[in-house]
Amino acid sequence: MRIGIVTDSTADIPPELVKQHHIRVVPAIIVMDGESFTDGEDISRQEFYERLPYLRTPATTATPSMGVFQEIYTKLFQEGAKAILSLHVASQLSGIFNTAKIAAQSFGERVHVIDSTSLSMGIGFQVLAAAKAAAQELSAEKILDHLHSFQKRIRVLAMLDTLEYIRRSGRVSWATARIGALLRVKLFVEVSEGKVLNMGQARTRRKAIEHFKTMIHKLGPLEELAIMHTNAEADAHQLLADLALNLPSPIHVLNATPVIGTHVGPNGLGIAAVLK
Amino acid sequence: MTTPPQPQETPGFVEKLRQEPIDGLAFKNLAFAALTWLRTNHEMVNALNVFPVPDGDTGTNMVLTMQSAYNEIKNSPERSIEKIANALAQGALMGARGNSGVILSQLWRGVARALDGKDVLDGETFAKAFAVARDTAYKGVVRPVEGTILTVAKDIASATEKALAITQDPYEILEIAVEEASASVERTPELLDVLKDAGVVDSGGKGFFFLLDGMLRFSKGMPLDTAVASVKSLSALNFDNAMETVEEGQDYEVVVDFRPHEPLILEQFYSDLEKMGTSIQIGEGEGMYRMHIHVPTEKRYEPIDYTMSIGTITKVHIENLLAQMEDIEKSSKAQPIKLTPVEPGQIAVITVAPGPGIANVFASLGAAAIVEGGQTMNPSTQEILQTFENLPTDRIIILPNNKNIFMAAKAASEVTVKQAAVIPSRTVPQGLSALLRLIPNGDFDAVVADMESALGDVETGEITIATRTVEIDGVNVNEGEIIVLHNGKLILSTDNLTTACLAFLEKAAADDFELITLFYGADIQKAEVNQIADQIRETYADLEVEIQNGGQPHYQFIISIE
Repeated sequence: MRIGIVTDSTADIPPELVKQHHIRVVPAIIVMDGESFTDGEDISRQEFYERLPYLRTPATTATPSMGVFQEIYTKLFQEGAKAILSLHVASQLSGIFNTAKIAAQSFGERVHVIDSTSLSMGIGFQVLAAAKAAAQELSAEKILDHLHSFQKRIRVLAMLDTLEYIRRSGRVSWATARIGALLRVKLFVEVSEGKVLNMGQARTRRKAIEHFKTMIHKLGPLEELAIMHTNAEADAHQLLADLALNLPSPIHVLNATPVIGTHVGPNGLGIAAVLK
Repeated sequence: MTTPPQPQETPGFVEKLRQEPIDGLAFKNLAFAALTWLRTNHEMVNALNVFPVPDGDTGTNMVLTMQSAYNEIKNSPERSIEKIANALAQGALMGARGNSGVILSQLWRGVARALDGKDVLDGETFAKAFAVARDTAYKGVVRPVEGTILTVAKDIASATEKALAITQDPYEILEIAVEEASASVERTPELLDVLKDAGVVDSGGKGFFFLLDGMLRFSKGMPLDTAVASVKSLSALNFDNAMETVEEGQDYEVVVDFRPHEPLILEQFYSDLEKMGTSIQIGEGEGMYRMHIHVPTEKRYEPIDYTMSIGTITKVHIENLLAQMEDIEKSSKAQPIKLTPVEPGQIAVITVAPGPGIANVFASLGAAAIVEGGQTMNPSTQEILQTFENLPTDRIIILPNNKNIFMAAKAASEVTVKQAAVIPSRTVPQGLSALLRLIPNGDFDAVVADMESALGDVETGEITIATRTVEIDGVNVNEGEIIVLHNGKLILSTDNLTTACLAFLEKAAADDFELITLFYGADIQKAEVNQIADQIRETYADLEVEIQNGGQPHYQFIISIE
């Protein structure tokens, strides 16, 4: 029984893994100064981060249309899928899950839309786990069960280099604009059960990165790890080297999707981990 | 402010008083006498502050604490001394300001304990009260220092206990207590080097002496409203606290510089001025005097006319106090601070801010409530408590950001039923460093520990103008000079602000850090701040320099290095 695996571009899954596991990725939309771009197709990450600080109005993100989802689901069924698992970014953070759910309605019970309650590779690891299970011919119900407990082992942490973008984005209710703020404040957050939690702040990049390493070490023994960054490749690789972890699967270093970059700003660092 | 009958006015007052047992009502009058005499002499106590920085005046703090204590009992019809003493102690606790205020409140707590189950204060109980007061005060201080109010309390307890062998009369015990207090205060420089170097006695001890002395004077029918006449050196005159003590009917502040025709007879001058107004201060300079007084509108020219009759006036300053007060009220209503709303159950951080700009910065970092330091820079226990009692959470962390506010913060944390911890932050930069570690939904003990560990992450510089000439820690300070403190320690006195800032940065090894933040105060212009910042950027090209309008009084700069 073939099960189709669908996700969206906020999952940040490395392209080679997308290909390898036959995952379908629905791209999100990024809007910059009135122009819309399809994530991963019309605009490269490089270009996005270069333009970001110079935009006249803040960049925004938008959900792909319902039609795009329905097209993908239809195609998968045409290719012989018996059921589809559609895993998406946390519903509290984006409208993508909702749109997928509505699109799935016309397919009855054959399309299961799942709220990953996470972000970036926090979704990615779930998608890869589902894909591997699907390849082993497990039933949709079994895979859903497995995902349910797998979700609990996932942690997503991030270090934002500035508060400017997250305040403007409005997606995080406690991080709204304040007058009289210090200019240089870096923020730590955890994405947990769809919520973005305040995990403290720091004033200098050096201290912030040190603290971030401590936060990662405090997670305990890890099974898998991915390091994300928003246009801070050197720092991300340095972090990888400093963590000096020996894990069974390779640790991917990824430039996060502009969808995240819009809300978080450049020079951020993040990790998604699967706990042992 | 109601006054008990002036003792000298009632014949036979003293004899009658001495015959009556000291019940709640009599105790109340004694408490009022103590308060009045301390208030009359509080400027002298303020002048004893060794550290040449313009905040944390012991005299003012003790008066405000005692005032709060008295307010608790002033309208009480209670005759029971046990109830009066307990109410007094409670009022002192809630109104305690500064470390001296908190220790004073603990002395009163001890007195109240000794009066449990008692109807009157007899000699034996009086001596016991001093002993219990001593014990309570010592217990309340983590590291008791000898040569302070604690030693004075100890010496009094010892002397009064011995005195019980000779007399059981409470007023005679009081007299012995006052004598010993005076002697003990004089001995404090021998116990505390910093007092000896500065050539002063301990201010807290002196304040305590005045309280007891006030009671004694009352019992002897002596006046309580004329200060031990004293003249200060010119630059020690401090008119800043004028706003704290504006009394009804005193509309104008008049300051006159003059050269007297003949040598000034101080007592006469004082008593002549007292007929016109209040808050009289006299400062002596080179061959001239400065007189300061508050007068009602209709008398506003009297001090000037009078002074003209005895000398040559060189300068006159008149200010409308009511207009000043209105201005201050207007400016404080100007920008309400946007605080982070606390969600039920989250950890709420209460922080003390000496200036509005600094308050905004704390708010922007997630503080749930701000306590404004105020002109005296010392909020009371009650003022701190009020900020968090009504928050929808039981988890409270307090950042006092000043070593003289720590005890009042601790008192507040002990009074409340909520789970409250005090982080021992001694400066604003330390407070900021701690606040950065806040995880609102985190584990309380873990967050507290994390905040405590953050205190050492930052170096603090404080730049202000010396309020006295003194030698401290090997540094010679002349009043009026610019002084530099590094993590609370005086390191330099100079005449130039730029030199001061650069010297601090060098001493604190700024090169090893990444970010310098300058919080500039209300007493300096932005243009000058920019010039200094540019100099700093030049000298420390590898560091980032951030400027913030702190708005704090007294301190030109508070500098953090991270």
